[in-house]
Amino acid sequence: MDNPSPYGDYKFVGRVDHVKIFNQAIKSICFNDYGMLHVSDDGLRITVEQGKSIQATLFMPPAAFKEFYVQDFQSFGLKMNVLSECLNLFGSADCSLRIMYCDQGSPLKIILYPYDDEDVSTECAIQTMDCEEPIDYDLELKGPDLNVIFVRGSNLSKVFHELEKSAEEFEFITSPDRPHFKITTVGIMQAVFSVEVAKTSPMMMMFNCKNTVKARYKSHHIRLTNKAMQSATKVAIKTNSIGLLELHLVMQGDGQEEIFVQFYIIPLLNTE
Amino acid sequence: MKFRALMQDPMYMREFQAIVATLAKLAKECIMILGERQMHFIVNEDQSSTSSPLVWASIAAEEYFPEYRLETARPDQDYIVLSMSSANLSRALSVLRGGGISSCKLKLQRIQFPCISVIATVSSSAVTEDREVVHDVPVSIIPASDWSAYVVPRVPNSQLALCLPSVRLLRSLIDKLKNISPSLEFQASYDGELSVIATSEMSTVTSRFQRLVPRSLTGSEEGASCSVDSRKASAFFGALQLPNEEMTIAIEREQSIHLQIYVRQDVVLHSILPAVCM
Repeated sequence: MDNPSPYGDYKFVGRVDHVKIFNQAIKSICFNDYGMLHVSDDGLRITVEQGKSIQATLFMPPAAFKEFYVQDFQSFGLKMNVLSECLNLFGSADCSLRIMYCDQGSPLKIILYPYDDEDVSTECAIQTMDCEEPIDYDLELKGPDLNVIFVRGSNLSKVFHELEKSAEEFEFITSPDRPHFKITTVGIMQAVFSVEVAKTSPMMMMFNCKNTVKARYKSHHIRLTNKAMQSATKVAIKTNSIGLLELHLVMQGDGQEEIFVQFYIIPLLNTE
Repeated sequence: MKFRALMQDPMYMREFQAIVATLAKLAKECIMILGERQMHFIVNEDQSSTSSPLVWASIAAEEYFPEYRLETARPDQDYIVLSMSSANLSRALSVLRGGGISSCKLKLQRIQFPCISVIATVSSSAVTEDREVVHDVPVSIIPASDWSAYVVPRVPNSQLALCLPSVRLLRSLIDKLKNISPSLEFQASYDGELSVIATSEMSTVTSRFQRLVPRSLTGSEEGASCSVDSRKASAFFGALQLPNEEMTIAIEREQSIHLQIYVRQDVVLHSILPAVCM
């Protein structure tokens, strides 16, 4: 008969050296309780949606894992707050972790090994559910007419931080002409506050805008990206002609491995 | 009725302070039982509080107090039993945390009302004369007729005890696990493994502590397990102010968990977590 696999019945096994960045990334997309987990040879994706207006996906390529094994394509749903709670069990103490999954209906097992004490380990068995199919926005943002801007994560996070907290709507303008990149907040009293970033600004890492795109977003949606933005090293801002916004964030772990968090935000209907 | 005791070693004074500070975090009132050779503190002795566990500390007088004098109310009595605010006592002793304390006296006196006076002598190099910091902690004297309600708890007949070298990780884990499940199951095996299990509708979290030193208390090599209230466990671990890292976890099968911290050979902090139904 064929050789027994070292992974036994497990169809997905992943090992990560430092839980910290994974934990941060999960926390940053925990805005809805239900998450969808997909794993294939490409890597691991965890997607969270709120209504049909915002979607966040954590993507970990196989290179972000110390060990990565997957058989076929596995997908299931799980409770995000339970996952986050489990990853957080050892608080700030650094741990390595192992993720294991057998088959449809079996729990997702996460085993944490704190570095402080090699005689201690914690195994979490998280119930899984049937998976729904997340909305695929990727196709919409593949055309040649996209506006793409790369900025430093910490700078962008600061810009958002300075914007008015009570504002209900954010307007983004990306344009090949001045003001290049402009964020305007519209508050309850119609007070307007704006920040402009020229393409020559040091926070710009890359600027490639062909058309002027102006779109409005719910500030609540933009603020959901806050946590992720704070730990991001790089952010790509992409919009297509109708204003569908993608924020693609790069986070770097302690071992220099990169993991990605993507947000898709649907623009508000133009009421002007 | 007379009582006075004197401490001189700064390390002992800090330990004594840490014991009282731990008790103060667990309950408003504490009972102090002064015996000829031992001093006991008990909190939550009536176990009426739902979220705080029964905790007591037994201190061999000769360990901490080079001078320890006790005169009971009547010659045929063995104890003086007092009740007081644990926060007040802890605040009075908090002076011992700082440096420069050369001695500390505890004295039972009557200043309009009965109180335990905590008299700390502070010496500093700048001033030649010592200063005395005095705190009078009001106490109620428990009459002998009521003593039966305030006896030092009996150590349970546990089957298996495991010695945990460091309480730090378990403490932070229990703090997190209490949010997952209202009860925690402790499983101890004779080969030195302790598992703490929290089960909720959506997840099962099992923390394993391996290579602990087992001590069978019955001669049998069987394991033991017991489920306890997670809030009680968390309250005890969260209250700990002692410098000690080591803890003994003894399990009386399906009855209770007995936690012990040996501050010194004859100075022990105990807690009993009663079993809950699953």
